Amino acid sequence: MSTLSRNAQCVLKILEAGSLLTTSMILELARRAEYAAICKGCAGGDTFVIAANQLVERGLITRKLGKGGYHWQIVRG
Amino acid sequence: MDDRQWARVRSDFPVLKRKINGRPIVYLDSACMALKPRQVISAMNEYYEQFPACAGRSIHRLGEEASNAYSEAREKFARFINAAKPGECIWTRNATESLNLVANSVRIPKGSKIVTTSLEHHSGSLPFVERAKKSGLKLEVIKARDDGTFDIEDWKRALDSTTKLVSIVHSSNVTGTLAPLKEIVEIAHDRGAVVVSDDAQYAPHHPLDVQHLDVDLSAISVHKMCGPTGMGVLYGKMDLLESMDMFLVGGNTVSDVKFEDGRIVPSYLPPPQKFEAGLQNYAGAIGAGAAAEYLQKIGMHEVEKRERQLLRIMLEGLKELGPVHVLGPDDLNLRTGLATFVIDTVESAHDIATFLNDRYAVMIRSGWHCVGPFHYQLGIPPSKGTARASIYIYNNETDISTFLRGLRALVEQTS
Repeated sequence: MSTLSRNAQCVLKILEAGSLLTTSMILELARRAEYAAICKGCAGGDTFVIAANQLVERGLITRKLGKGGYHWQIVRG
Repeated sequence: MDDRQWARVRSDFPVLKRKINGRPIVYLDSACMALKPRQVISAMNEYYEQFPACAGRSIHRLGEEASNAYSEAREKFARFINAAKPGECIWTRNATESLNLVANSVRIPKGSKIVTTSLEHHSGSLPFVERAKKSGLKLEVIKARDDGTFDIEDWKRALDSTTKLVSIVHSSNVTGTLAPLKEIVEIAHDRGAVVVSDDAQYAPHHPLDVQHLDVDLSAISVHKMCGPTGMGVLYGKMDLLESMDMFLVGGNTVSDVKFEDGRIVPSYLPPPQKFEAGLQNYAGAIGAGAAAEYLQKIGMHEVEKRERQLLRIMLEGLKELGPVHVLGPDDLNLRTGLATFVIDTVESAHDIATFLNDRYAVMIRSGWHCVGPFHYQLGIPPSKGTARASIYIYNNETDISTFLRGLRALVEQTS
């Protein structure tokens, strides 16, 4: 398994802290100072969503469609 | 052209024969990257397979064939935009590089003004923001209306005798709005300013006649018009190009480089060579010429007409969906073939793109499309963004109906 990209690490770190987050929540958190050291993508968010989808393919997080859009969650244990 | 002829055009694009998870591809992201027809791929392959040599340098047979193909490509491109001379077309890497070349090379006296708009792609605004900072110039930003149109009175007010350069997006990659370029050029010329038009979205979809528009400079991305990636064009009126400073210098840009009294003394070639430093992307230029020729054979008026037919179906379908809001004016004559929208029931535009891709193999773009200022103007934060479906010559009614079916399902599942 290849090393996680910086954007993927950013998404994982954000999801580790929260339970079930929407795409907008992840993108907003990625711009906060507390994640600034690791989350450095463009504000448009494309790169984070691409990274999040790769994490889904690797089985590290899940994505579920519901009211308002997708909700993302880390796969624990 | 009838549906049968458009189906033949569609069959020129090999990638559309692919299926993903058993579904045919519905490609609606041409405003970002257009697909490539086999004619363009063949032209580039021919270079690599038959004469992969240096153009304009090597005197052997392969060099001669490469030189001929390279200069024919420039002629084809000049015909495509109706430039007065092939030498008015400079090869660049993309429209962004073309705009940076302009921002860094046009001579502007200190204290003068550059005018741009809130609707520009970052590539149409940032090079001028930086130039203004570097050269002590004033930068005035004309605010587009929220539908992406302009009030011409704003242009008359903003452009004054101190204005030396205007950067304007001819067709917006967000609202799809067409700017009244000819009118703006007239106002600018009246004030003594030159106009650079960002034609990245206009050139692939509409007949572009630089002489008719009287525009001074025009930036084009070839990858959006069926050509290869990493290729762009800067058109410029010859006298203006001659007066501009070089952007990159080095091999191929000089007529002579003397060594006099311990100093290196260069003499530069006229345009286009003075702007094309170093070994060029010959295959890319040949591909660009092939793309221009391919589109011209179809006819740019036909392309425009076809896209508007499909856009009409798309916009009507989007309206029927209910919680969908499309940016841009209702008048199709003011639009290029794209629809940018938000859905009330979906928080982030990225979710729209993800859903359509996963479930329907429908490919659209989401985010802020490198137009941050206009999204902020509309109160749309980057985390929400907008979704954009863009149409090109290979799309058909089935593509539009699959796209609308996907959106209908998304609205149902997120409500």
